[in-house]
Amino acid sequence: MMTINSKHLTGCTRVAVFAAIALATFASATAADWGTLKGRFVLDGDLGEPTALTVSKDVEYCGKNNLVDESIAVGEGNALKNVFVYLYLKRGKSVDIHPDLAEPSSEPVVLDNHGCRFEPHVALLRTGQTLEVRNSDKGIGHNTNFTLLKNPAFNEMVTNDSPIKKMFTKSESYPSSAVCSIHPWMKAHVLIRDNPYMATSGEDGSFVIEKIPAGTHEFIFWQESSGNLKKLSVGKSKTSRKGRAKLKIPADGELDLGEIKVKLSDLRK
Amino acid sequence: MNGSVAMNHESLRKNLTWWMAAAALLVGCGKVEPPPFRLNMTQMVSNETPTSPEYQQEIADVLGAMFGTPDEPYAVPEAGLDLSRLRMAAGAAWSDEKGTNHGLYRKHCVHCHGITGDGRGPTARFLNPYPRDYRQGVYKFKSTYNADRPTDDDLLRVLVNGVPGTAMPSFSLLPHSELEALVEYVKYLSIRGQLEVSLAAYVYDDLGEEAEVDENGDEKVDSEGNEITKRIPLDPVNDPEQREVVMELLAEIIEGWESSAEKVVIPSEDHIPADNRNAEEIAASVAQGRELFFGTRANCVKCHGPTALGDGQQDDQDSWNKAHKKFLQDMVNAGDQEGVHPGIVASRAEVVASIYTVRNAIPRNLRQGIYRGGRRRLDIFWRIYTGIAGTPMPATGPASPGAQGTLKEEEIWNIVDYVLSLPYETPSRPLKALPVNLEAVN
Repeated sequence: MMTINSKHLTGCTRVAVFAAIALATFASATAADWGTLKGRFVLDGDLGEPTALTVSKDVEYCGKNNLVDESIAVGEGNALKNVFVYLYLKRGKSVDIHPDLAEPSSEPVVLDNHGCRFEPHVALLRTGQTLEVRNSDKGIGHNTNFTLLKNPAFNEMVTNDSPIKKMFTKSESYPSSAVCSIHPWMKAHVLIRDNPYMATSGEDGSFVIEKIPAGTHEFIFWQESSGNLKKLSVGKSKTSRKGRAKLKIPADGELDLGEIKVKLSDLRK
Repeated sequence: MNGSVAMNHESLRKNLTWWMAAAALLVGCGKVEPPPFRLNMTQMVSNETPTSPEYQQEIADVLGAMFGTPDEPYAVPEAGLDLSRLRMAAGAAWSDEKGTNHGLYRKHCVHCHGITGDGRGPTARFLNPYPRDYRQGVYKFKSTYNADRPTDDDLLRVLVNGVPGTAMPSFSLLPHSELEALVEYVKYLSIRGQLEVSLAAYVYDDLGEEAEVDENGDEKVDSEGNEITKRIPLDPVNDPEQREVVMELLAEIIEGWESSAEKVVIPSEDHIPADNRNAEEIAASVAQGRELFFGTRANCVKCHGPTALGDGQQDDQDSWNKAHKKFLQDMVNAGDQEGVHPGIVASRAEVVASIYTVRNAIPRNLRQGIYRGGRRRLDIFWRIYTGIAGTPMPATGPASPGAQGTLKEEEIWNIVDYVLSLPYETPSRPLKALPVNLEAVN
């Protein structure tokens, strides 16, 4: 077993490790320069009318909700919703976290089975924060089957008035999918990270990540139907084959990527 | 750093050198090539972790150093595997003068589960269900919580009993020592397969191409102003940081296997139904179980169907088939594959062609009295409590020790009673046999 246990460390190493931790804490406490990243996603192309889903179970209840395919979702003016933007970190690397954001919110992130779809369709969760999976479809049974790679996956029944509560300890590299096996059209994505530097684009396609330590960081751009958004023009940069772009966050200022055009043909690839 | 860790790295390095030397010696021996482990190609050419041929080779080298070959298995000490058992199970199948059997895996398992444990032996394509692919470390019929690895006893039970209703036979006639060797070898193939996926993810997430920088730390550009990049090889032998990561990835996998015995679901004594219940008590429990079966909390009816013939929701797949389905869809949608390494593009068609027909997960017909994971009341209790890992069947009990579940244990036992009564219950609307020849009837 490779767990590093303090009793295995020699006295000298222990001092060094503690010194390093102290130094790291000190460094983060003094890094006073923080900046903001923002932008707005717009779909370049005509999505047309959203595709209606085939409702094969609980038709009476679920069928009346006019369920549509949400893998590409647009708001007014072709604003592209539900795009994930988050800080990429190499394995074992960490980032200074603004003191305001040091602790994850004590409020749970709610993923509700509502109207035979997940509400919200995308969510952000920090390690140590509670995910609450609810079922507010009265009299309809749902199960939530979560595919996780770094944390233990789960597949559980979720009943009315008795939410499943989960907490995770490890960062996932990509948004994790939640599905319902009873109603296989249901899908949501939740990104689990051990830092607060992540966002999803909202109703108007915009996103904002605040209080990022100033300097150059790599960010991942991810959308459900195509995964990593490759070769996407974001401000003056372009994302790589892995959907990442190096962006310079100014101290006490903001980097506005402006309008980010995502081609429909790239999403349907 | 910790002394034992440093030594582990040393053993990894030595072994890699040894393995490569051994591989070099074997070339041109004139002997029949021993079967090699195959790479997990759906992973290597996937959209999630596209892995170039150079990286594929490097991953194979690292796995070779840490696990040896099908003929000469090896396990780094951290893997906690018993090498003598692995040696009993590995290699060509033969018996010595004393009657000791060697090569047990190839004698009993390989034709379905394949050399690599990928569930792709020569007969696999013709079986339904397909043989288990061990490489995810996911097993259906076990005593532990849904997300946890099986215990040795769980794997042993499957070997002894077989899996009723499938092509998996019982190996109860093998001596215990041989069964233990096979259990160890199955775990070995799982751990190896899991590490392979972890390595592909690590290579994709953290290695790959990096911009070259000049002495001032500025990114170098070519005459057209494009960044000059270089590939960072996966080379844990010479890169101590990578070595540490590889050992960490292994440790994460091993931890799951080593802790499985603590994750066994043990039913509380207070709720286990008594052995001496009378007919009324059993009938009351069956009625309760029936109520739950049709209710929304347990919701068994949605998949197993109102007649429990397994004719409810049949549109979903297990995780193995679902992964293949997703892979095939991704490949269809891959378009011009611009920006994907040509070496990956070149092998995609072949990998697509190699995938078996994707099959849906058909819920069990509960009226047949055939229970794949065992017919003891405890087995059925585990299926309902923990769900069936890798399948759409969800857990109704807590997902981990101390967590909150949907059903109480006594309710799960009620469903066990109902399920076990189903093969003997007359369906409420029995299907009439259709007349064989309508004209003759008329």
